[in-house]
Amino acid sequence: MRFITMDVTKCVVCRNCEYACAFRQTGDFKREDSNIRVDYHDDVKICLPQTCMHCDDAWCLEICPAAAIYRNESTGAIEIISERCAGCKMCILACPFGNIHFDNINMVSRKCNLCQGEPNCVSFCISGALQYTTDQNSCQNNREIFQRFIENISSDNH
Amino acid sequence: MGDSTGKRDHYTSLCRMCDNRCGINVYVEDGTIVEITGLKEHKWNHGRLCVKGRLAVDLVNAPDRIKKPLKRINGQFEEISLDQAYDEIAEKIKQVQATWGEWAMSVWKGEALGFLTQEDLYRRFIHAIGSPNYFSNDSECYVGRWLGYALVTGDWATQDFANSKCAVIWASNPPYSQPNLTQSILNGREKGGKLIVIDVRLSAIARQADEFVQILPGTDGALAHGIARQLIEEDFIDHTFIDNFTIGFTSYSHYVSQFTPERVERETGVPAKTVIHIAREIGRCRPKVSVYAGNGLEHHENGINNVRAIACLDGLLGNFDHEGGNFVAEKPGLKDLTLYQDKPLRHLDPIGADTYPVLYDFRKECHSISAIDTILTGKPYPLRGMILSGANPALTNPNSKKVIRALKALDLFVVRDLFMTETAELADYVLPAATFLEHPELHCHPIHHIISLSKEIVTFPGCDNEYIFLKKLADRLGAGSYFPWEDRETLNGWLLEGTGVTIETLLDHPEGYQYKPRRFLKYLEEGLLTPSGKFEFTSRYLKDYGYPELPEYIPPTYMSAPNPDYPYIMVTGARKVFYTHGRNRNFKRCRTAIPNPDIEIHPVDARKIGVATGDIVTVTSVVGSVDIPVKIVNPSNILPGITQVTHGWKESNINLLTHDDRNDPIDGFPLMKSVEISITRKVES
Repeated sequence: MRFITMDVTKCVVCRNCEYACAFRQTGDFKREDSNIRVDYHDDVKICLPQTCMHCDDAWCLEICPAAAIYRNESTGAIEIISERCAGCKMCILACPFGNIHFDNINMVSRKCNLCQGEPNCVSFCISGALQYTTDQNSCQNNREIFQRFIENISSDNH
Repeated sequence: MGDSTGKRDHYTSLCRMCDNRCGINVYVEDGTIVEITGLKEHKWNHGRLCVKGRLAVDLVNAPDRIKKPLKRINGQFEEISLDQAYDEIAEKIKQVQATWGEWAMSVWKGEALGFLTQEDLYRRFIHAIGSPNYFSNDSECYVGRWLGYALVTGDWATQDFANSKCAVIWASNPPYSQPNLTQSILNGREKGGKLIVIDVRLSAIARQADEFVQILPGTDGALAHGIARQLIEEDFIDHTFIDNFTIGFTSYSHYVSQFTPERVERETGVPAKTVIHIAREIGRCRPKVSVYAGNGLEHHENGINNVRAIACLDGLLGNFDHEGGNFVAEKPGLKDLTLYQDKPLRHLDPIGADTYPVLYDFRKECHSISAIDTILTGKPYPLRGMILSGANPALTNPNSKKVIRALKALDLFVVRDLFMTETAELADYVLPAATFLEHPELHCHPIHHIISLSKEIVTFPGCDNEYIFLKKLADRLGAGSYFPWEDRETLNGWLLEGTGVTIETLLDHPEGYQYKPRRFLKYLEEGLLTPSGKFEFTSRYLKDYGYPELPEYIPPTYMSAPNPDYPYIMVTGARKVFYTHGRNRNFKRCRTAIPNPDIEIHPVDARKIGVATGDIVTVTSVVGSVDIPVKIVNPSNILPGITQVTHGWKESNINLLTHDDRNDPIDGFPLMKSVEISITRKVES
């Protein structure tokens, strides 16, 4: 199983990943079509790339009333079958990281599917912040990195 | 994208959407390039590519590409055949040279088509037909920094970021300007290195800086001298290097001693305690300190001495030619295509060579800004014909209005390009050209000492590559003997003769072939490439031309003599992720992401002017005026009073405002990055 890891100490918010993903989805460079989102907090200079972590215990998959979300056994990716998606947005509410977004034109939820095992965002990440690794603990690592980060920000602001 | 049912051919090559030349995979179906991805094994980019690189698929297949020669007849372009175009152009070149002298013909090389071989081919061609007048974008970009370093150390510095303990990115934003350089900078930092970014704007790379130092435009020399003073005072200096391998240290150290942290703060806006702090950071990491001097240092009235001031730090730190420092890359020793040995023509007064002799001595660049004046005034002699290739000076040269007037005034103006650019619109003949995917070229990545070969992957009828074009024209002008190679492949083979590397070797090494191992501290045995053979804090060579021998700091005019009519300072030229100078604006999906130009301003200034993001303002300098939408940036991004406009937009061509008459006295670079302007809200009519 391989994961996309997101290193907040390398991301420069160049948005190549967002544009590359949007292009993969729609052939255009609309950032809102991207399944990876990079948040930048200017005041504290925090660069936060976020895409699906394909959780072991995936709440989006569990909650989906249409059974439109499944795990792709070959890549390990949690994927949405658009044809089954009822557009209820339950998955969006369930994801603790905000990594699912809504496609207002087709009225379905959208998320990362690891590009069938060759994620475009990683290939277009020029800083090296995104890596596609086999690290068993990647999912756990990502969560811990974010957790540490959030703690740091809150302590800095006190 | 995605899987294809048709047969898909795979090629490896190099990207030329900017100067990074990343390794790429190119996929072709039925003779059409359908996909480009990063080449995993290439040592420069390790499989990663930026979105600009992928855009080459759009570039090569663009429906608006020029595929037929165009001739201006009664003010309108009409298609003619390639043979007719070449015949007529050759006849007109003969006429220009017969009437006005051989020097009245010129070439102007840009960056949209090829790379170093292309440059040398144009140099060869113009000398072959008897004129010394080779112009290029380089007399306004990059060469200023190159000269700044070469005057001090004898060569350009190549940064060994991956092994640095401290990387200093000075006035550059690699994520946009040299995307895959970002990887090595951040890899060095991952291994525990510090990252210091010195810039006017909080750029993309500054977001990851351990120290972001925000500086006033054009004042970098004062900061460098301040750092030098601090390093000397706290003895963070390499005495062995200074004693044995430098000249001028005594007068240099005496000169920089004036630059106290307090004075530096007054000159640069950088707090005194920051000056001390970063000097200590840099000093502690010596000699593994890499300093990259970026394009933001050029385009000022005292740009080259600011770069020299930065280069001088290498002499103190002992990082010169050191692993993890600023190392001097060795070249692969390709054969020289230019004719400066065989047919020098210096006696024919290359334009600008007397006014800016350093530019010509070191780089054999004629001064492109002087070319514009020469066309308009006929002084020192008439310049009446030009072949311009892959450049767009109507948009990218300072004082565009004058550039346009001059190019229109030529008796013969030929433009080779892929698209109908703002410059091509002024031409007598517009010729179809070939992209980097349509001809093979040799490329070096000095940092790794590697050489790679880009390939001819597709061709289009009528779109000759640069070599074939020049060869056909030279044949018609009786200079064919200078272009004996049958095609680009043969020429590449000739260039490699004597290097020990062959085309076959390069084909076997798509990752880049290392032509020799990297060596450090070469000066111990071989000396430096300066006139003295030493690191030159002071330059006798400059002194002999009447320039100061020290890198003297002269504050920008907006600091020394502020003009109340133009209270804001404008920096131009910050890069955008999709755009390289004037290029790529014709690709629709780039416009989706970044649709229009804007002027970046501080919220405080926006309040003063009474504008919100999206409002149109009129921006005016003593040179000209343009209307442009406002973008209010976060207060940390830019200092109040400072603004930034990216160049290359025809809708709001900012070079209508930049100066072509306030040039750096040493290298002749124009003032484009500390332009005094006024900003007024545009009143709706």
